[in-house]
Amino acid sequence: MSAGAVLFMLMSWTLVLGLAFWSFARVLRKRRHFDPDGIGPEAPPEPGAAEGVLPPHEY
Amino acid sequence: MSDPVSIGDATSAEKASAHENWGSRIGLILAMAGNAVGLGNFLRFPRQAAVNGGGSFMITYFVALLLLGIPLMWIEWGLGRHGGHYRKGHIPGMFAAVWRHPLAKYLGVLGMVIPFLVLVYYTYISSWTMAFSFYSLFKDYWGRETQELMISYLQSFQGFGAERVHHPITPFVFFTITLAINVWVVSRGISGGIERLAKVGMPTLFLFAIVLAVAVMLQEPVPGGGSPLEGLEFIYRPDLSGLTDASVWLASAGQIFFTLSVGMGTLQAYASYLSKRDDIALNGVATAATNETAEVVLAGTIAIPAAVTFFGVSGAMAIAQSGSFNLGFATMPVVFQQMPLGNVLGFMWFALLFFAGITSAVAMFTPVSAFFREEFGLRRETVAWGIGAVAFLMGLAHIAWLKYGFLDEWDYWAGTFGLVAFAVVEVILFVWVFRPENMWRELHEGADIRIPKIFKFIMTFVTPAYLLFILVWWGVTDALPILRMEKAAGGGQLTPEMEPYVLLSRGFILFFFLVALILIRVAWKRNGYDDRKGFPVVDVSGQQGGTR
Repeated sequence: MSAGAVLFMLMSWTLVLGLAFWSFARVLRKRRHFDPDGIGPEAPPEPGAAEGVLPPHEY
Repeated sequence: MSDPVSIGDATSAEKASAHENWGSRIGLILAMAGNAVGLGNFLRFPRQAAVNGGGSFMITYFVALLLLGIPLMWIEWGLGRHGGHYRKGHIPGMFAAVWRHPLAKYLGVLGMVIPFLVLVYYTYISSWTMAFSFYSLFKDYWGRETQELMISYLQSFQGFGAERVHHPITPFVFFTITLAINVWVVSRGISGGIERLAKVGMPTLFLFAIVLAVAVMLQEPVPGGGSPLEGLEFIYRPDLSGLTDASVWLASAGQIFFTLSVGMGTLQAYASYLSKRDDIALNGVATAATNETAEVVLAGTIAIPAAVTFFGVSGAMAIAQSGSFNLGFATMPVVFQQMPLGNVLGFMWFALLFFAGITSAVAMFTPVSAFFREEFGLRRETVAWGIGAVAFLMGLAHIAWLKYGFLDEWDYWAGTFGLVAFAVVEVILFVWVFRPENMWRELHEGADIRIPKIFKFIMTFVTPAYLLFILVWWGVTDALPILRMEKAAGGGQLTPEMEPYVLLSRGFILFFFLVALILIRVAWKRNGYDDRKGFPVVDVSGQQGGTR
């Protein structure tokens, strides 16, 4: 396997696996923030980390 | 803000879906990823990478992921959750929720008919994987050690070809079993059926894929073959000449499009079962990352390296060019026959394809199922078995007329061209008509991450332009010649024998579009919707609120 192919493979895998680990690490840290039925989980739903940075809908 | 409107019988209809929701966030992500990870990940990706220049393809592939795939993923999650706020888990309702115009609901017909059409033939193809997993485990095809013999075996299973190994009823039996499993899962509901399937199916799929990838990588070279590392070289070789070739950019964009299951209506339907308090920005990234891990890391390490190990680089190139199904259903069985515990590895290969297929197929039920439940108040089980019955009848036609190109027509018009056309419409509606500011706010409600602002520009201008380019290019190079019957939808020449079946296949597509349009009209009239006023907000526990 040539050095160029190894480089391409490593870059591709790093990008994909890095994105996966980063996103799942954040998902698992924020597990309580899930309230699909609107009633609320055992722990009250927490506001999203990015919530409040934009004004509410006005449409 | 507009006034509340009466929705007539919709109140009772809404009760039918009042308690549908996801049980856990991981379950949601696995179900979304299960929807995205399909047969294309393991069969189409390695072939596309190999025949489109390896390194060039990978560069354009990641550019398409950033400019097309992930933005579309967010758009579809946002559109779906926005529709869910009005208890609309189907595309006509979602479009009407972002564009208060009588035409909006009719444009949504794309998101009802396309998933149904794809569901029918996708279930049929998934049934091949179920059959071949058993044939592998019990060594039914053992002794067929050339590609030609395996292709003959596959054709026998499909019901045509010179050789007759299988009873003619075999494909019908496996299709019926596969469809029944799909229907049963859907009839159990979002949390009790689809989420449970994803929680079992996705870890199993990943486990089998890891075992297969390790087995292929540890395989000793055989006489006349190469090494597994040469197989990886075949995919990742740093040939950058393809970067100036438009076909490579289109191939990678097409792969990103198919692999993420965008343009289908399924991601939106799943997202409609979320509340405004739930994150979609991070969940969307996690879903895309899971899909890409299955595709780039695992799928890229199985089929092509295995083909190179046993057939050499030139042999693998010929295999890749002969098509994805030959790679999966003819080449891999030949490979497994020469590996230790090959029957078990063969079973795992086809079982992982089956799980990839079925977790995607159940998603295709969801938008159609949501329409009947929400607009006509039908029970979940009734809808699931009803849709299953129609899919069964159409599946019989696909099985009987496969060799005449009946399936290829549906695959092209619904599963290829239709997906891009639908994506163009939804992007225009959710980004431009709904307005970029509203789209951006929608994506950030309940969000656990702040999406980089550059993506607002990308979603507003780059993604639509990318999609339009693909649509026009495919329209000119493929759609028009296929429509004029100058070439077959599945490739190659259209024979006079095929023409009546191709026309019949198109007739069924038009028929389903017509029926869906009528049903949409009936649903709107029945429920007294006012296109100009919009829908009342229905909170996720089923209570009606004001409009917004």
